[in-house]
Amino acid sequence: MLSWLFSVATFAGIYALLALGINVIWGMGGMINLGMAGFFALGAYASALATTSGGLPIPIGLALAAGLAALAGGLLCRLTLRLRGDYLAIVTLGFSELVRLVAANEIWLTNGSDGISGVPGPWRSELTPFRFNVLSFALVAAAVVVIWALTERLRRAPWGRALRAIRDDDTAAAVAGKPIRRFKIQAFALGAAILGLAGAFYGHYTSYIAPDIFRPLITIYIFLALTAGGTGNTTGAIVGAVAVVLVLEGSRFLEGWTSVLGGVQKAALREVFIGVALIAIMQLRPLGLLPEKSPGPFLKRKSR
Amino acid sequence: MTDRITTLGPNRRSVLMGGAALLATPAILRAQGTAIKFGTLTPLTGVGGTYGPSMRDAAVSVFDAVNAAGGLLGGSIEYVSEDTQTNPEAAVRAVRKLIDVDGVSVVLGTWASSVTTAVAPLCWENDVMLFCVSGADSITRLPHMGYIARTQPNSVLQIQVAGDFMLRQGSTGMAWIGPQTPFAQSSIDILAGQAEGAGIGMESLIYEADKSTYRSEVDTILRSNPDFIMLGGYAADSTVVLRDIWQAGYEGKIMGPAYAVNPSVLDALPDEVTEGVFTWEGAPAIGSTAYANVQAALGVDVVDPYSAQTYDHASLAVLAAAAAGDAGGSAIKNALRSISQGDGTEVSDALAGLEVLASGGSVNYSGASGPCDFDEIGDITGTQFLFNQILGGAPSMFERV
Repeated sequence: MLSWLFSVATFAGIYALLALGINVIWGMGGMINLGMAGFFALGAYASALATTSGGLPIPIGLALAAGLAALAGGLLCRLTLRLRGDYLAIVTLGFSELVRLVAANEIWLTNGSDGISGVPGPWRSELTPFRFNVLSFALVAAAVVVIWALTERLRRAPWGRALRAIRDDDTAAAVAGKPIRRFKIQAFALGAAILGLAGAFYGHYTSYIAPDIFRPLITIYIFLALTAGGTGNTTGAIVGAVAVVLVLEGSRFLEGWTSVLGGVQKAALREVFIGVALIAIMQLRPLGLLPEKSPGPFLKRKSR
Repeated sequence: MTDRITTLGPNRRSVLMGGAALLATPAILRAQGTAIKFGTLTPLTGVGGTYGPSMRDAAVSVFDAVNAAGGLLGGSIEYVSEDTQTNPEAAVRAVRKLIDVDGVSVVLGTWASSVTTAVAPLCWENDVMLFCVSGADSITRLPHMGYIARTQPNSVLQIQVAGDFMLRQGSTGMAWIGPQTPFAQSSIDILAGQAEGAGIGMESLIYEADKSTYRSEVDTILRSNPDFIMLGGYAADSTVVLRDIWQAGYEGKIMGPAYAVNPSVLDALPDEVTEGVFTWEGAPAIGSTAYANVQAALGVDVVDPYSAQTYDHASLAVLAAAAAGDAGGSAIKNALRSISQGDGTEVSDALAGLEVLASGGSVNYSGASGPCDFDEIGDITGTQFLFNQILGGAPSMFERV
């Protein structure tokens, strides 16, 4: 049981990283990125290939994953600067499908839909499965704390303030002399780097990646997490991610509580529950559990 | 500024301290007791959702029957069902729960090859036996130390048999059309080799699954004038491809795996679309006790190959545990081949096998999906193949090889 809790917590941590990455791009920068799974995949493949075929140590794999995802994010953002809202959403969704199709069809590089198995995990062979879970959780949790602190710091910094101004009204921000293009690209690249990092963690933790993992389903989970937690709120992103994993994993125990539900009904019910939860949150708390607040006592003191 | 630092501090410290404290606790906190626990992990939702529910029901019917007849090793079997969502990411979370919370010693019924590959390392690391129905050749080449057994003939064997059939039917131009899967490219390579050997043409096309029409793909493949087309997909996309081939006015022969051209596809399409289509599958043991049991459990006349296989997974697990006198994962792994093949009494369901074992005999289980003999890497051997032809919207037997 304890081993499972650590494993669920590790998944929650990876989801939290994803939510933090999306929070920078969408929550703080206002750019809808439905291509999340693409950056997640990019990071996972970069690190997995670097550490298996490349024979490089895992920390370098992580750095490559974040770097490559940032580069792709920056480029994609540069190409789509003029797109907003629905149009950006479609293009980014296309990007993620593109990454998945390349992963499925470029067999020489990615081993196709067989996927890459045997991705190394830190000290995986020396540790018992339980200890490996604990170690993975500790590493992922540390990453979440670091990324949380980093993005929270940025949110409170002048950079975050300017980004919010661009999100809310980019014309006004441009008139105020903010270089909109640079801010957007930086935010997109930073968010994408975090997504790539999450992908690398995922690959090293589960030891196997394949194109099927990076279908849009996971993007929906993360947007649900961020909406539930509070878009634009870094702590909310983590809370939301943990809540989504709790629902996904907790619903497995429904079968034990009631004999009416068989395996099939339970599986269907889980999907229903996710949908209902999203509708309920949008109805009752449209800003999420932890709505975004103008950060910093510094600002408040001044306004008083 | 100070605000931020004070909120940061406890977080980091508590995480580190928590992690350290937990690393120090004994690893064996997973109380499992002596209960016999088996898990089913089938695709209840997602692309495989058309197969998973009956796969689960077929397996569960074995456990229920054994429990009703007095149980196994002096206890009763507890079973837990989880959903792979036909997605390796979700399946990994599901198998974690089966292994770490429920403490199952057997996981059976994984369907998609990517799902099986994703959960396999967790199974062998945790001393859990994995029975799967996935066809990708790479699966049994994983370093699984015997913890994987699959009842589905691997894709190389399946395609060779089907290609031979196409040539026997006098094909003068073959074509393969299907989605990108772990066996798409190897299927094409095998057929191309067979076509070359026979001195005929062979055209292939890999499409992207989940489309609502494949008309342009079908037109592309028809341009090479094939007279025998093999489908490489599953039920959902095969329905669409069959419709599009028919609408394109193609008059040659078509064949598809029985799991793709299954009763739901035959129901969804008008009879004239499916008329004459060939299907093939590892021959199920029609007429055996096991096959009749699955028919009764599912309430169907024609048992799909996957449900027949999961029924056998469950029976094999029960018999291996009984033969070993231990329902642990490694005991079942080690005893598997002693009850699946060899000189023992031939039995076709778990109850009969348990009786033989209880009287001190040995058994050779042959189930609903066939003889269920495994080679050293866990691949099924000795499978016969059944070819059916769809006539009037229903499969009728064509030949058996």
